[in-house]
Amino acid sequence: MRLNTDMRVNRIADEVWEIPASEKPGMLVPARVYATQTILQSMDRGVFDQVTNVACLPGIQRYALCMPDGHWGYGFPIGGVAAFDVRQGVISPGGVGYDVNCGMRLIRTDLSLTDVQPRLEQLMTELFRRVPAGVGAAGSVRLDRHELTRAMLKGARWCVERGYGWHRDLSRIEEGGCIGGADPSTVSDQAVGRGINQLGTLGSGNHYLEVQVASDERIFDLGTAAALGITGQDQIVVMIHCGSRGFGHQVASDYLKVFEKAMRRYGITVNDQQLACAPFHSPEGQEYFAAMNCAANMAFANRQVITHSVREAFAAVFARSAEELGMEVVYDVAHNIAKVERYAEGELLVHRKGATRAFGPSSTDLAPEFRQTGQPVICGGSMETGSYLLVGTDRAVQETFGSTMHGSGRTMSRAQAKKQVRGEQLQQLMKERGIMVKAVSMSGLAEEAGFAYKNISQVVETVEGAGITRKVAELRPVGNIKG
Amino acid sequence: MSHAFRFLDDIAIADIAFEAEGDSAEEVFVGATRALLEVLANPVTIADSWQRQVLKTEGNLDDLLIEWLSEIVYWKDAAGVVFRDAPLTLRRENGRWTIKATLIGAPVDGERQELRNDVKGITKHRYRMERNGSMWKVTVVVDV
Repeated sequence: MRLNTDMRVNRIADEVWEIPASEKPGMLVPARVYATQTILQSMDRGVFDQVTNVACLPGIQRYALCMPDGHWGYGFPIGGVAAFDVRQGVISPGGVGYDVNCGMRLIRTDLSLTDVQPRLEQLMTELFRRVPAGVGAAGSVRLDRHELTRAMLKGARWCVERGYGWHRDLSRIEEGGCIGGADPSTVSDQAVGRGINQLGTLGSGNHYLEVQVASDERIFDLGTAAALGITGQDQIVVMIHCGSRGFGHQVASDYLKVFEKAMRRYGITVNDQQLACAPFHSPEGQEYFAAMNCAANMAFANRQVITHSVREAFAAVFARSAEELGMEVVYDVAHNIAKVERYAEGELLVHRKGATRAFGPSSTDLAPEFRQTGQPVICGGSMETGSYLLVGTDRAVQETFGSTMHGSGRTMSRAQAKKQVRGEQLQQLMKERGIMVKAVSMSGLAEEAGFAYKNISQVVETVEGAGITRKVAELRPVGNIKG
Repeated sequence: MSHAFRFLDDIAIADIAFEAEGDSAEEVFVGATRALLEVLANPVTIADSWQRQVLKTEGNLDDLLIEWLSEIVYWKDAAGVVFRDAPLTLRRENGRWTIKATLIGAPVDGERQELRNDVKGITKHRYRMERNGSMWKVTVVVDV
C-alpha cells in the first residue's frame, strides 16, 4: 500500500489505522487515522506529519486522532481530534482553527420539492438578499459595544431574547447555544471591531446556505429521521455552514501571538509554529479559553440570526408564517472548538478541528429529546453532491472522545480547481442539473467545485463502518448561496 | 525598483498561498500587499472613496509584514471595505522598522466590484522572508 508518508502505519480495523509512538521523536501517544484503505491512500502528507506532531503535545491522552475527511491544516490537520488532561495538558488555537465554532445548522420544513420548485428562483433571490455573504459583508443587526458583550456571553440565547428565533430552538443547539466560561474582557478591541457589524453574515470560502431535499430513498433510518423531524417525501430542509466570522478569526490571530511568547516562558517546544500552545491552567491558556468561548457564542448567535432571516425569506415567498411552515431547527453543532468533557481518564479538554461532537444516546450531556436517537451530526458535502444527517454513538464516546467527521474534505487546491472550471460555467452546469446557485464571487464559486472534494458518501461509510456515527439521511442540494 | 508576486498552487489545499519578491525590503512589502489585495478583490474594480493612514513599527521585518497584512484584513472587516491600492514606505530607525502606508479603497459593493475571497487571517505556516543578495522574497499563506 502506497501512502504519502514514510512512517509505519498499522491496520487496527478496516477503518482504523495507527502510527505507533515510536515513529517520530517526541510522540507521547500513538496517532490514529479513521479511513478506508482507499481514503488513507488519498490523504496528503500533511495529515500524517501533523497528526503525529499533535501526538507530541504535552498532556495528550490516548491517541491523536484524524477523521476520514482529514487533510492538511494549520498546526492540527483538518479532521483532527485531541484530548488533553486539564491539569497537565495544553490548549492550542491551532487545534480549534481560525474560524472558532465554525459549524452546521439544519432547519426542517413542512414544504416539499413540489411546493418549492415553482418558486425556487424567487426563494433563492430572497435568501441571497436577506443573508449577506462574501468579503466584507455587513449584517442587518446593528450592535453597540454593550449589546455585543451580551451576545458574547449568551450566544443564541441573546438572539432569542431579542426576537431572532424561538425559545425552543435553544435545546436543539449544542450547549443550548450558550457556552459558559466566556469572558469579554479577554477579547481585543480588534476582534470587536471586526465582529461588531457581521452578525447574521455567511462569509465566503466553503461557507454556504443550502436548500436541500430529503427523499424517501435516501433516508436510511426512518425512525430516527422522523424523531428528528425529517419525514422524507421530497421534504425541503435548509443547511447553514458558517462560524464566528472576523470576530473569531481575530481571537485566533491574537492568541497565536500570545502563545508563541508563552511557550518560551513555559519551556514548551512544538514541531510546528502553528501548534503554539500554553498550559490549559496557565493565565494565557485560561484567557484564550474565555475568549474562544466568546467567539463560540458569537458563532451560535450568527447562525441563529441567519436562521431568523431564512425563516423570514420563506415566510415572504410562501405567504405563511415560519411556524406554519414547520421551520424547526433540527440541530446546530460546532466543528471547530475546544471543550472540557468527562471521559474514563477524567476531565479532558477535547480539541475538535474540522471534527464534530458525536455523543451517543447514553450521554447525559444531551438534551432530553436526543436521549433516544443520539446527538445529531450534520455533515456538509460539496455544493454539487449531497450532505448528510448522522447521529452519534456510544462507541464514539468510548473510542474517539465522542467525535466524528465534519464534511467531505478537499482533495484539490483552490488554484487547481479554478484552472479546471470558471464560476459562470459551473453555475450554468449546476443549473442544468437542477441546482440553482447564487454567488457573490464567481472565482470563489469555481474554487468550491464538487471535483475539488472527496466523495462524501465514502467518508460517511467510513465513520459508519467504524461505528462512531450512524447514517440517518442524505440531503440533496437544489439551491445554494455562496459568498 | 521592482517587485512581483505569484500565487502558489499546492502549498495550502484549502487556503491561498503567494510568494512575493522585490529588489528591496520595501518592494517585497509592496509585492505582498498587492497579492493580498488581489486575494480579496480585483483592485481595478475598486473605487478610491475610502482612505486610512497606517503607521506600524516592529523590531524585525518578519513581524512587521505579518502585522501590516493583518491590518489590511482588519480594515476589510471593521470598515467593510475592499482595496484599490496601498502605497507604502518603509524605514529603519534605531534598529526598528516602521511602515507608513495609506489604504485606499471603497465600501463593499457586489454590483460594481469583482469580489473574491474573505480572508480570515494571515498565518505563519511556511512563512519566511529571505534575502539573497539584493533580492528579497517572502512566502505567505492566508486562511480563507
